[in-house]
Amino acid sequence: MRALKIGLSFLAALALSPAANAGDTMDATDIVHRANYMSYYQGRDGRAQVTMTITDSQGRERTRKMTILRRDDSESDALDGAAYLGGQKFYVYFHRPADVSKMVFMVWKHLQRDDDRWLYLPALDLVKRIAASDKRTSFIGSDFFYEDVSGRLPEDDEHELIETSETFYRLRHTPKDPASVEFAWFETFIHKKTFLPIQAVYFDGAGNKLRTITATRVDTVQGHPTVTAATAVNHSTGSRTNMEYSSVAYDIGLPDDIFSERYLRRAPKKYLR
Amino acid sequence: MTQPKNLLIRLALAWPRLVTWLMLVSTAVLVALATVPSLWPAAFPALNPLVVDTDPENMLAADEPVRVFHNRMKAEFALNDIVVLGIVNEDHPDGVFNPDSLGRIYELTRFAATLQWPDPEAPEKTMGVVTVDMIAPSMVDSIEQRGLGAVSFDWLMPRPPRTRQEALAVRDRAQRLPMLDGTLLSEDGKALSLYLPLTHKHLSYRVREALLDRVSSWEGTGDVLHITGLPVAEDIFGVEMFIQMAISAPAAMAVIFLLMWIFFRNLRLIVSPMIIAMVCSMSTMALLVATGNTIHIMSSMIPIFIMPIAVLDAVHILSEFFDRYRDTGDRRATIVAVMDELYKPMLFTSLTTSVGFASLALTPIPPVQVFGVFVTVGVMLAWFWTITFVPAFIMFIPEAKLAGFGRQQANGEGKGDWLSRALSGIGRFSHGRPRFVLLAVLALAMLSAFGISRIVINDNPIKWFEEDHPIRVADKVLNDHFAGTYMAFLALTPGMEIDSAADYRSQFERRLSARESGLEGVTEVFAQLRAEAVAIDAATRAEFLDLLGQRVAARLDAAPDDLYQAWDEADLFVDSERQRSELFKQPEVLRYMEGLQEALGAMEVVGKSNALTDVVKTVHRELLLGADDEFRIPDTSEAVAQTLLTYQNSHRPYDLWHFVTPDYRKATIWVQLTSGDNVDMSAVVDAVDAYVADNPPPMGLEHRWYGLTYINVVWQQKMVSGMGKALLGSFVIVLAMMVFLFRSLWWGVLSMVPLTVSVGLIYGVVGLIGKDYDMPVAVLSSLSLGLAVDYAIHFLARSRAAFEAHGTWPAALESVFGEPARAIGRNAIVLGVGFLPLLLAPLIPYYTVGVLIAAILATAGLATLVILPAAITLLESRLFNTKGVPHASAEDRP
Repeated sequence: MRALKIGLSFLAALALSPAANAGDTMDATDIVHRANYMSYYQGRDGRAQVTMTITDSQGRERTRKMTILRRDDSESDALDGAAYLGGQKFYVYFHRPADVSKMVFMVWKHLQRDDDRWLYLPALDLVKRIAASDKRTSFIGSDFFYEDVSGRLPEDDEHELIETSETFYRLRHTPKDPASVEFAWFETFIHKKTFLPIQAVYFDGAGNKLRTITATRVDTVQGHPTVTAATAVNHSTGSRTNMEYSSVAYDIGLPDDIFSERYLRRAPKKYLR
Repeated sequence: MTQPKNLLIRLALAWPRLVTWLMLVSTAVLVALATVPSLWPAAFPALNPLVVDTDPENMLAADEPVRVFHNRMKAEFALNDIVVLGIVNEDHPDGVFNPDSLGRIYELTRFAATLQWPDPEAPEKTMGVVTVDMIAPSMVDSIEQRGLGAVSFDWLMPRPPRTRQEALAVRDRAQRLPMLDGTLLSEDGKALSLYLPLTHKHLSYRVREALLDRVSSWEGTGDVLHITGLPVAEDIFGVEMFIQMAISAPAAMAVIFLLMWIFFRNLRLIVSPMIIAMVCSMSTMALLVATGNTIHIMSSMIPIFIMPIAVLDAVHILSEFFDRYRDTGDRRATIVAVMDELYKPMLFTSLTTSVGFASLALTPIPPVQVFGVFVTVGVMLAWFWTITFVPAFIMFIPEAKLAGFGRQQANGEGKGDWLSRALSGIGRFSHGRPRFVLLAVLALAMLSAFGISRIVINDNPIKWFEEDHPIRVADKVLNDHFAGTYMAFLALTPGMEIDSAADYRSQFERRLSARESGLEGVTEVFAQLRAEAVAIDAATRAEFLDLLGQRVAARLDAAPDDLYQAWDEADLFVDSERQRSELFKQPEVLRYMEGLQEALGAMEVVGKSNALTDVVKTVHRELLLGADDEFRIPDTSEAVAQTLLTYQNSHRPYDLWHFVTPDYRKATIWVQLTSGDNVDMSAVVDAVDAYVADNPPPMGLEHRWYGLTYINVVWQQKMVSGMGKALLGSFVIVLAMMVFLFRSLWWGVLSMVPLTVSVGLIYGVVGLIGKDYDMPVAVLSSLSLGLAVDYAIHFLARSRAAFEAHGTWPAALESVFGEPARAIGRNAIVLGVGFLPLLLAPLIPYYTVGVLIAAILATAGLATLVILPAAITLLESRLFNTKGVPHASAEDRP
C-alpha cells in the first residue's frame, strides 16, 4: 500500500503530462494496448541503468547493477491496428557484483514464436543459448519474471474492464492457456492519463495474492512518462525486489548489430554508460 | 477407647465425615481450576487451560543451545519441517512412472498445494503446506539440454504425461539431477516422493488425514501412498497418546479393582482405595494443568503411575485389617492397631517412592522433571488420604456389614490359601539354604553386569509405533526405496576470523598492483585509490572495504569521461575484494564440501546429501553441453557466481537459499539418512568429526549439526547422563533414609539389596535381549528404585518387630512370612498387574513402561522375600547384636 501511495503522489504531478486522454469510452483491449505501448514500446530504442535490490523476508539484501538496452523491430508507434507491436531486442549487461560483471543476457523477443535468449558467462568464456519456452521464470533471481521485463502479449489473455475510477482503469486479465502460467488471473490498475500500469496483482485459483508489482516512481523523460522505480513482491516467499532506473534515455540510435552474439563477448561500451 | 498414636489418624477416626468432605471438596476445586479455563478460556484469562504438547523437541528446554541454533538455522535457511509422501506401485513394471500413476500424482500434488487453513493466531495469515517449497515432479525445475546447445529450465513434469515414453522421460530427466535422484524419485526409478514443508509441524496429522482421505480412490490402481517423516510421527503420537490414556487408565483401574476383590471379597471395603486412586490422579493432573504445565508424552503417563501407587498403602491397611479383624470383631480397635503398626513403614515407603520420582527433577529434561515432581505430589497425596480416608471410610461401614470378613483361620500361617502356602515355602527355602541363595544372587549379579555392559543406548521416535503401524510400514518402505526420509542438517559457518585491516592492507596492495592494466588512466586512478586507502582508518577488513567502496563510488560518479573506465575498474576491484568474504563462492570451499559429502555418502546409513555443490556442479554440466566430466566445481569464484546466477533464472531461484545464505557466508548440507536411530545419527556425527579432524577445513570453517534427527540425539545424551545422576541421587537419599529409619547402617544397606539386585537384573536382561535403552527405559531406572524399596522396608521393619516379639530369628521369620509377607505378596501382585494394562498400548513407550515396571516390581517383591531372609540368617548375629535393637538374645519364647 505504501508503495502504491508513493506511486499515486507521483501521478498527481503527472496530471499535466502531455499523454493523451482518450476519455472513458475505451474498451479493455484498447486500454491494454495503450498500457503495453507505454510500458514497453516508447521510443524506437531506449537505455537505462538499473539498480536491482532483492530483499528477502528476513531483510537480507542483494544488489545488482546492470544496463538494459532495448531496440524495437517495428518502426511504427501507432496504436491503430497495434502497429507498434512487434519483436524487440534486449541487451542486459551486468556491472555489479564484481563476480558477475561483464555477464550479458540478451533476448530477441518474438511475437509468433518462442523468444531467443543468450547468456554470456565471461568466467567460463561461454556464450550459451537459453531455452525460453516458459517466460514465467525468475529474472536473474529477482521477484520479477521475464515477462514482467519484456512484456506479456496482450493476446495471451482475455481482458475485462471491471472498474473505472477518477484516475484508474481497473482491469482483470484471464489467461487463455491457464496451464502455461502460475496464476489464475491478474488485475491491473492503469493510470487514465498516462496509461502507465501502476499496479498489477496476480492471484491463484483460491483468490490468494501471488505477486504484486507496483510502479513507485514515474518521471517524464524526453516527454515520455516513464516508470523509474518499481517493486515486485512475492507474497508466497515474502521476498521483494526493487528496480531503480536511472540515466533513462530514448532514441539513442542503438544499432541493430550490437544485439548479436558477436557483441556478447565484446560489450558495446559506449552505449552502456 | 484405644486411641491411635498418630494425631492425623485420631482426627480421621473422630470426624470421618469431615475427612471425606475435605477430600471431595479439595479435589473438586482442583478439577474445576483445570477444566473451567479449558472449556471457557476467554472467560478466565488468568487461569491456565489444558495444553497438549507432543513435540519431542520440548524434551529440551527452549533455551537449550542446540535448539536455539536449530531454530536460528531453520530461519536463516528458510527450512520447514517436512511431511514425506512416498508413492510406490509394485504392480506396474515401470513403477509409478506410467501415465496413470503420474496423472494421479499430479492431481495429488495440486490438492496438497491447497492444504492451507486460516491461522487462528493471525487471521490474515494462513498455515499449512508451504506451496512454494513443495518438492513434486510438477513443481520443480529440470535443468537440461534442449535443442542445439541450449540449456533449459523447465518444469520437470509440467502436465501429466500421455504416453509411456513421456512418463519414462520424466524419470530419466529426474535421474540426471543429483538434487532429485534418491530424493524425488527412488534410486531404482520406480517410486516417487513428494515433500510437503509445513508452516508448523503440528499440522502434519491434519495434512496426513486430508491426503489419506484424498487417495482413498486409489484403491485397486496399484498405487500406494505412504506418509512418513519425523513431524508426522511426532504429531500422530500425540493423537494416539490420548486414545492410549483413555484406554490404559480405566483399564488399570478395572484390573486393580478386580484383584482387590479377589483378595478381600468385600466390595464396600475395596471401594476406598479406588476412591483414593481416582482422587489422587485427578487432583494431580488438575494441579498439573492449573499450574500451567503441558500434557506431554511423559506427563500423560502420570495417572497410570499414580493409580497403582495410590492403592498400595491402602492394600497394606486392608490386608492387615483383613487378617486381624476376625480376632477382635471390632473395626475401630482393629484399625487403630493396624494404623499404629503401619504408620511408620507407610510413611517411609511413601517418602522413598517420592524420592525416586523426585530425583527425576535432577535430569535436564523438562518434561521428565515435571513428570517426577507431579508423581511425587500424587504419591504424597495418596499417602495423606490413605492414612486419613481409609480409617474414616472403615468407620462408615456398619459392623454388621463386616461380618464374615477376614481370614477364616486365624494364626493358620502356612496352611491357608495358595498365597500363604507359597510364601511360607519361600521363607523356609531361603532360611534353610542361605548360602545357596546368596551364590545364586551373586551369579545373577554377574550376569546382570554382563548384560548391562551390552546395553545399547538408542531411540527413534518412529519406533515408538508398533511394527505394523502405517507410520512404521511407510518408514520401512520409503527408506528401502529412497535415500532416506530422515533429514539431518550440517551447518558450515565461518569461524572466528581475526581479520584486521592492518593485516589485510598488504594483500590489498599486492592484488591491486597485479590488477593494473593498459586501460586509459588506470595508473593515475590506482594511485589515487591507494591514497584513499591509506587515509582510511578502519579496524577490520570489512570496515576498511566498506569505507573505501563508498569513496570510490563517489569518485566514479564524479569521474570525467576519460577516467570513467579507470574508476570503474577501481570500483570493480574494491567490490571483488569485498566479495572474497563470500566463502561459499570460493572453489576451494566448495571442493571441501564436496569431499565432506563424499565421506558422508560412504556411510551406509547416509543415503545421500544435497548441498550448494550439487547445484553448482549440475548447472555447470548443463552449461557445458551436459558432458559428464563437466559435473564439477568450476575453477574460479567468478565462474561459480555466474553459474549460480544462471541457475537463478529458473522457476525457483529461492531454492538456493535453503543451501546457502544470500551473503554466501553460511551453508548447510542436507543429509538424508535411512534410519532415524540415535546410534546411526551419532555414528554420522562421529564420522564427520573424524573427517574434519583429518582434513582441516579451509578458511577456518566450523561445522555444527541441527535438525530433528540430531536434536533427538542431544536430548537422549542429556537424558542418559541425567538419569545416571538421578539414579545415583535417589540411591544415596533412599539409603540415608533407610539408615535413619532403622537407626543402623547394616539394616539400611540390607534394605537396598533386593531393589539393587532387581533393577540390575532387569537392566541386565534389557542388555542381553538387545532392547534399546531408550527414553522410557531410562526414566524407569530411578523411579523403580523408590518403588521397589517399599517391600524391603515392610519386610525388615516387620522382621525387627517380630524378632523383638519372638526373641529368635527362626521364630520371627515364621511370623514375618505370615501376615506381613502376604501384604507384600498382595502388593507386588496388585502393582505388577496394575501396570499390565499398558501392554494393550499400541505405542511402544507405554508398552515398555508397563512390561519393565511390572517386571521390576515382581522381581523386587520376590527378591525381598528370597534374599532378605537368607541375608538376615547369615548376618543374624551382627544384625541383631547391633545396638539399637534391644533384647537381641536367645530368650526363646515357648
